Amino acid sequence: MSKKRVLVIDDSATVRMYHRSVLEAAGYEVSEAINGIEALEKALAVQEPFDLYIVDINMPKMDGYSFLRQLRQQPIPQVPAIVVSTESKTHDKAQAYEAGANFYLVKPIRPDDLVAYVCLLIGQGGHQ
Amino acid sequence: MNPLFSQFLLEGRELLQTISEKLLALEKEPESQELITELFRAVHTLKGTSGLFEIPEMTNVLHSSEDLMDAVRDGRLAYSQELADRLLDAMDFVSLLFDILETGEGPDPNQIELAKELSSSLRDLIPVTDLQSGETDSQGEARDIKLPALSDLPEDVRLRALSEAGTGGVNLIVYSPDEGCFFKGEDPFYQALNIPGLLWGRVVPRTTWPPLSDLDCYRCMIDFQALSKAPRGEVLEYFRYVPNEVAIMTLSPTAQSSTADRQDERPTYATKDTGFQRDKAYETIAVQAEVLNQPEDVAYLSGRLQSVAKALSNCLSALGQDPEGLNEALAQALQGQSSQPLRDWLSAYCEQRGIELKPAKTTAPEPVLAPPTSTDTTQAPADRRPETPTTKVLKVDQAKVDRLMNLIGELVVAKNALPYLASRAENQYGVRELSREIKAQYAVINRIADEMQDAIMQVRMMPVSLVFQRFQRLVRDLSRKLNKDVELIIEGEETEADKNIIEALADPLIHIIRNSLDHGLEDRQQRQEAGKSPTGRLMISARQESDHLVIEVSDDGKGIDPAVIKQKAYERGLLTEERIDKISDREALNLIFAPGFSTAEAVTDLSGRGVGMDVVRSTIDRLGGTVHIHSEVNRGTRIRLTLPLSMAVSNVMIIESDHQIFGVPMELVVETVRVPRRAIHSIKKRQTTVMRGRVVPLIALNTLLDIPAAPIANDEDELATLVVRIGNEPVGILVDNFRETVDVILKPMPGDLGRLSFYAGTALLGDGSVLMVLNLKELFRWQFNTKD
Repeated sequence: MSKKRVLVIDDSATVRMYHRSVLEAAGYEVSEAINGIEALEKALAVQEPFDLYIVDINMPKMDGYSFLRQLRQQPIPQVPAIVVSTESKTHDKAQAYEAGANFYLVKPIRPDDLVAYVCLLIGQGGHQ
Repeated sequence: MNPLFSQFLLEGRELLQTISEKLLALEKEPESQELITELFRAVHTLKGTSGLFEIPEMTNVLHSSEDLMDAVRDGRLAYSQELADRLLDAMDFVSLLFDILETGEGPDPNQIELAKELSSSLRDLIPVTDLQSGETDSQGEARDIKLPALSDLPEDVRLRALSEAGTGGVNLIVYSPDEGCFFKGEDPFYQALNIPGLLWGRVVPRTTWPPLSDLDCYRCMIDFQALSKAPRGEVLEYFRYVPNEVAIMTLSPTAQSSTADRQDERPTYATKDTGFQRDKAYETIAVQAEVLNQPEDVAYLSGRLQSVAKALSNCLSALGQDPEGLNEALAQALQGQSSQPLRDWLSAYCEQRGIELKPAKTTAPEPVLAPPTSTDTTQAPADRRPETPTTKVLKVDQAKVDRLMNLIGELVVAKNALPYLASRAENQYGVRELSREIKAQYAVINRIADEMQDAIMQVRMMPVSLVFQRFQRLVRDLSRKLNKDVELIIEGEETEADKNIIEALADPLIHIIRNSLDHGLEDRQQRQEAGKSPTGRLMISARQESDHLVIEVSDDGKGIDPAVIKQKAYERGLLTEERIDKISDREALNLIFAPGFSTAEAVTDLSGRGVGMDVVRSTIDRLGGTVHIHSEVNRGTRIRLTLPLSMAVSNVMIIESDHQIFGVPMELVVETVRVPRRAIHSIKKRQTTVMRGRVVPLIALNTLLDIPAAPIANDEDELATLVVRIGNEPVGILVDNFRETVDVILKPMPGDLGRLSFYAGTALLGDGSVLMVLNLKELFRWQFNTKD
């Protein structure tokens, strides 16, 4: 089976690198985007759609919320998105769900948590 | 070093730079919401990434900075000078931590203490909401949190904890959130629910609660008690943003307690310990239920519904369950543009399969606070403006570029072997045809090598703004400290030069600027008395002149009085009494570059630290550059630094003396002439000659190097003379013969030989021999210092 593909969207190169290393170690193929605009372009440009998005909220040019709202209107297969943020406020969380996120994680995320939720949302069992 | 950490350091430094730039920009435009947002984002990102590593000091300081900026962003706090100062201090501290961490060490106790001070000084600025009572603890102080006696825990919980402790150890945690935590954007319940390895937990009142009518519901009056099987370190890590609000006790299996316990009536909740994956799956499903509860009047509802269906079906198949009926429910939902069919399906499905959506009950249906209206946010065309094409930038480790440059340097040298080969083919083996072909091929390789060299030089070129950008801050801080009004003007910061040059420039320039501010520019009163504008002007400019970088630092201060310099130099023994009257004003000015010279009336903590302009001069010398000073009393001072644009490849002239060859850096060479022996005169035991009406002293290289041989003249009895410029005066060096000039990679003398200051370094020649390149400035300094 071909590798599942994850698009990591974050303006911090360090965070992208972190997510990449964790997800690649878990066997995923990782692409990166540095803001919502680039992410949207990548999501629309690829032939094989991504299987999951990992989205930061606070980014220049186009933030995570706007990205999700735009993404959810595109004529492409709609796949789950995890929002990662440093905010743990309920308000931020609700706003993420409203925009079309399917999960909300507070940074920094422990590697096994990240992998566990990514597995679930991509539909790979394994442990059960 | 761990690549993730290197990346963090790299990005972190960039963010720090952004932060200080934005702060300085804010000083000019304190109202700019855009700058404030950008500043907040930079601090926020830095804090977020620092959380990936175990650096609580840094994260704490950044967290406080972020909260402060958050308050500014929300308009709860106005931007002020003091705020900028404290934030800059905090960023300096973070920068210091970066430096320490880069060496592989950790912060020392002083810095940990400093981190606490900085955090609380930042937090002091955040306005306390009046809803909070005055006696609430401000964060940053350790609070006394009492751990409950083990016997206070319910019996079954205690037994389970102890049996777990036998297998791996259990931590008893008390999390006592700050009373004002709700105003800091904390969510203590969420925090408590997500304690790693949570086995059991409960909520207890912190004190006896007052009657309901007096209860302030905006104050957090509760503590959380919890048991966790995660290792202590992990729990501490989890609470690292609020370390003062938790107490942890690790339970060992021997800590038995047998007192019977009354059944606890307080609210408790339990998490299922079994099935890490299953709990997470249920949590994920519960979140989808929450997403389905979001407002539906949005343009992207279909996409949201599809993503929820996809998430649910993925999640259930991950659990090995078949999401039957989901597609039908989705189709209905899409058709009716409503979440209801999916909601119904989900609750029926969960009920049927016995899936408890437990966490959803705790975090779920929250009223959405002001959901952005769909029309203006989603269709906002602002974000979709045609983008201007951006140049792609590749970040490369410096070491890689250096290696590439060394390799290209070796190639440049290696290609020089081809002409030797060509001449051997012709002279030694008599194959003229082959010799010509080698020469032709050499021309090709030569061109490519030159282009490669040029290309790699371009890679190493950096704008001087890298150094100049710190000066805004430096001048701002210094002028405030000295209580002077100074306007800093920077010009030509886009001028580029080699990275090594740029980096080495920072220290001398800082020194010059400090001198200018400290000794050159007067304070407001003095300036007014002198009839100048009260604000002093300091100008730093950079420009490229042919293959040199010229940097000028000028001020309109009081200038340097040559008489004062002469007097000081005399007092310090740098000048003999008889020379005082003889030296020109220009020479007197140059005395400030002499080691041990300082004109500071009083030693200040700014520039009067015993190192003076001599350090500037020696640094610039080392870079192969020159320093010129021009000063007029009451008009100001200008210091000009002239530096090579690049120092990777040196152009060297090869000379011969006593059957040995030596290299002389071309930048010193003025001309080469053959002087007839009869044109050499002896004045006061020194050999001199007259060139273009000017007396030029001559000295044999053999004398300089202490080689006991006389210079050899050619058949016409002329002596090869290399005219070089040492300081500002031309000097003729008598050698036996001139050879060609070559481009070489100058390598420093290896090991202990590096201390031989008479040699600038060695270079490998095309025929494989080693050329010793002379450091004429040092040779002359030694020659005349010992003889004078």
